[in-house]
Amino acid sequence: MNLRLQPVQVATGSNDTESQLVFADGCLVAVLVRLSDDHQDEAGMWFLEAGFGSVADPRQPKFADLDEAQDWIMRRLVGSPVPG
Amino acid sequence: MDQNARTSNPLIRKLEGFASLSDADRGLLERVSASARPIAAGTDLAREGEPPDGVYLIMDGMACRHKRSASGARQIMAYLVPGDLCDLDVALLDQMEHNITTLSDCSVVRITPEVVANLLEHHPAVARALRKSTLVDEATLREWLVNVGCRSADERIAHLLCELLLRLQVVGKATHDSFDLPVTQQDLADTTGLSSVHVNRTMQSLQRQEVIALAGTSLQILDLPRLKALAGFKPNYLHLGDRAAA
Repeated sequence: MNLRLQPVQVATGSNDTESQLVFADGCLVAVLVRLSDDHQDEAGMWFLEAGFGSVADPRQPKFADLDEAQDWIMRRLVGSPVPG
Repeated sequence: MDQNARTSNPLIRKLEGFASLSDADRGLLERVSASARPIAAGTDLAREGEPPDGVYLIMDGMACRHKRSASGARQIMAYLVPGDLCDLDVALLDQMEHNITTLSDCSVVRITPEVVANLLEHHPAVARALRKSTLVDEATLREWLVNVGCRSADERIAHLLCELLLRLQVVGKATHDSFDLPVTQQDLADTTGLSSVHVNRTMQSLQRQEVIALAGTSLQILDLPRLKALAGFKPNYLHLGDRAAA
């Protein structure tokens, strides 16, 4: 399984706009948003704004960088494969 | 004692809104609440799976009821503010099914089941007020269910702040527009079913719109009508009567 990132802007209603769509084998599985300076110590971290299927997580984790985020997403997808 | 002087005792302030208390009732409640001891923030007063060891009364600070899911996520389902008692009839239970933990440094009284039984059996006005406060606790829990099930992030936070202002005003722990909010953004997130990121966005947004101002743990509500309108706040579930006119 391959992950592909696509940079986008997301209207979160806040200063957190820089984002990445995460595709797994062509299907959208997650939206990651980079936390703005509004988040003080956590500024620059990547936040799981939305996850789909097995990537959904009510705790909405934050990641130090995109590599860590992709590793986590991959583990979720492998643990519970996306149908189809 | 000056009959017109307003007591600073939060338990009496709360209960006298629910029933007409005599001087003897007030004296009794003063004695019941006299032995408060300091408890540090983050201390469990009651733990899931353990037998309850009395009824806790919060005299200062803030505590919460909470449960953890198997995955470790926490849901806070009640804030206990000064004057609040945890579970009048808890002695009927063999073990707790949730936790009660202090969110800030607190002043807490542990009341024995025998003292609670005496209040309920021999002091009808106090008993009436205590039972009414239990009904209000249940009504508040219902309102919090509506909060997490039916409201947006902004509405949830706004609703919680409107509620806290009123509840703290009743017990003399808030001015007309300000109170201490000694909780973290993660606490607020676990209370409202949001992520800490969404709580931070909402708090920043409310400050940018000059609806609230937050300095440390000191929260000032700058535009209460707007905050209430945003929340769709109706204080009927607190059963405060004319005390909810603020």
